[in-house]
Formats: sequence, C-alpha cells, structure tokens
Amino acid sequence: MTAINAFLNRIGRGVGGVVGALYQAGRESIDMVIRNVLPFMAFISLIIGVILATGVGEWIADRLTGLASSLGGLLLMSIICALPVLSPLLGPGAVIAQIVGTLIGVEIGQGDIPPQYALPALFAINPQVGCDFIPVGLSLGEAEPETVEVGVPAVLFSRMVTGPAAVVIAYLFSFGLYSGA
Amino acid sequence: MADLSLFAGAPPVAGINETLGQWAENFIGVFRQGAETFVGLVTGIIPLLIILLTAVHALIKLIGPERIDRVGEMAGRPGLQYYPIRYLVLPVLAVFFLTNPMAYTMGRFLPERDKPAFYDSAVSFVHPPLGLFPHVNAGELFVWAGIANGIQQLGLPLGDLAVRYFYVGLIVIFMRGIVTETISRIMFARRARGDEPEVTTAGERPAPEGA
Repeated sequence: MTAINAFLNRIGRGVGGVVGALYQAGRESIDMVIRNVLPFMAFISLIIGVILATGVGEWIADRLTGLASSLGGLLLMSIICALPVLSPLLGPGAVIAQIVGTLIGVEIGQGDIPPQYALPALFAINPQVGCDFIPVGLSLGEAEPETVEVGVPAVLFSRMVTGPAAVVIAYLFSFGLYSGA
Repeated sequence: MADLSLFAGAPPVAGINETLGQWAENFIGVFRQGAETFVGLVTGIIPLLIILLTAVHALIKLIGPERIDRVGEMAGRPGLQYYPIRYLVLPVLAVFFLTNPMAYTMGRFLPERDKPAFYDSAVSFVHPPLGLFPHVNAGELFVWAGIANGIQQLGLPLGDLAVRYFYVGLIVIFMRGIVTETISRIMFARRARGDEPEVTTAGERPAPEGA
C-alpha cells in the first residue's frame, strides 16, 4: 500500500510540475504580448496608417528607397547608426530600428525597394543594437568598473567596423533570395 | 445646396459642409488605414506568437536554464579552440535560454578582459533569431517583423529570409566577438601601461572567477 502511495505521489508531483511549468509559461507569454507586443503594434499601425493614407509616404519613399535599395546606401545607413556618438542614443528599446524597419517594410510591400534587399537592410538598421545598454549588460555579467570603462568605448568602436561589415556579409548571403520575384 | 459664397460673382466652390465632410473623411481614413494594419498584425502575428512563446518558455523551464552554466565555465578557458564556444555557442545558448536581458549574466564565467566582447556578441544575437524563435526578444519583434511584413505583402515566403537572418547573425556575432576582444585587449594594454598595472595585460590570463 505504501508503495502504491509513493508511486501515486511521484506521478502527482511530476504531472503537477509539468502542468505548472506550462501554465506559468502561458502566463508569461500573455504578459509579454499584452505589455510589450500589443502596444508596439498599435503604435506601428498608426505610423503605417499615416504613411499609407497621406502624402508623407511618398516623401519618405523618395528618401528611403534611395538609401535602402543599393548596397552603398545601406552601408551609409549602417555607418551613421554606428557612429559612437549616435549609437547609444539610437539604441534604447530598439525603437529606431523597429520604426525604420517598418518603413522599409512598407516600401518593400509597395514594390519600391526590391525584396532581396531585406536581408542586408535587417543589419543596416541595427548596428547600434545594445549600444545604450553596455554598462548595464556588463554589470549583469559581474564586470569590474575598470572593465566597464574599457568595455563601453571598445564596443562602440568595434561597431564602426562590424556594423558595415555585417551589412556586406548579409548582402553576400542575400544572393538567390527572392531572385525569382 | 444653397450658394454660401459671399460674393455673387465669385467662382463656384464646394459647399462648406461638403468640404468639412471631405476633410473628416480623409482624417478618419488615416486611422481606418491604421486600424486595418493593426487587425492584420494582431490576427497574423499574435496567435502564433503566443503559442510559440508558451511552448518555448515551457521547454526552457522543463530543461532548466542552469544547465548552460557548464558551457559558460568552458568558454572562459584560454586558447584558440575556445573562441567559437565563447563567441558563438555561449551567446546563442544564453540568448535562447535566458533571453534578453538575462543572457548577459552568462558573462560572469568569463575573465574580465573578455566580458565586453561577450556582451557585444550576445547583444547582437537578440534580433537575428526573431524570425524563428520570437521568444528571445518578443518586445522588440518589429526589428524583424517590420521588414518581414513587407515581404509578406508581396506574397513571398518568409522562411528563407528568417533562416538566412539567423545564419548571418551567427557569423556577425562571432566576428563582433573577435573584433571587440582585439580592440578591448589593446585598450586594456594601453591602460595598464599608462596607469598602474591594475588591469590584466594581454600576456597572462586570470582564472575565471565564479568558475
């Protein structure tokens, strides 16, 4: 009888653990969607609405298609975003990257920017990723203050090189992507 | 409609009410367009995103994120063969299991001089997997989804782009790790020469703390 009890106990615990993990995971996902994803969707939808329904779209399209539909333009965009003075300002919440990405997405959808530029564009809009967060990120890794002092400029300078380089790599990898379109 | 113009001989203009009506129509049209986009995004992205997030979060909980600590301990070792572990395997596992921003805590296994490079490597990987594993940074989904949306409107498949984004991300984070490590090594060495030798120079490597 005790053996059966112990067996049932173990099954109960196991199932409880799994169900608990699943339930907690569901709660986390809903939380994330309501708190971060939906607000951003509302904001992005408003921007897209303004772009599509007013003349602003053409103005943006003129400037953005020039930048985003050639390798040189994308490189220029990545160099600007990677400037050590600008990159920490453009970084927070990846808001700039998300807005510029959405604008480029709209232009791709309207056929102004060829779709094979999507891959290099994904890197061109984002060489500043995490540049605003270096001291915090390093502290999370339990870094000494001296390491933070060196780490901030090291990462910022590194981005000047690796930002444009990432665009070139992505450009090379975009061969054969949507070429039939 | 009565003629509302003040001067008898003035050219005929549209009535005020018509003009106002037109304006209102245009004004609300902007938001109607936005609302349409919003519905498209919500129905197109949210349901799949929620299920996917739930599945991966549950998986991570069942596996136990503390298991990647061992990889962290290995990544701190000196030697050329540990570069791919430090700037490829560890950032990828950290971002996948711990997600933004807890992934950067894995830097605690590395020696001080590699921490900036590891951070650079890890933080650069919080967006490239978004097309395949949106749980790593769902709050910043639109870095990927903005451009992906345009591709979808053209009726093109997204899978190819998502996979390539992931692969190029791997190459880029490895490159960033190496470049940033080189730059920070030079800066550490310069500091050590300029000031007191308080920071480790390039020649010797301290044992990883926390290991």
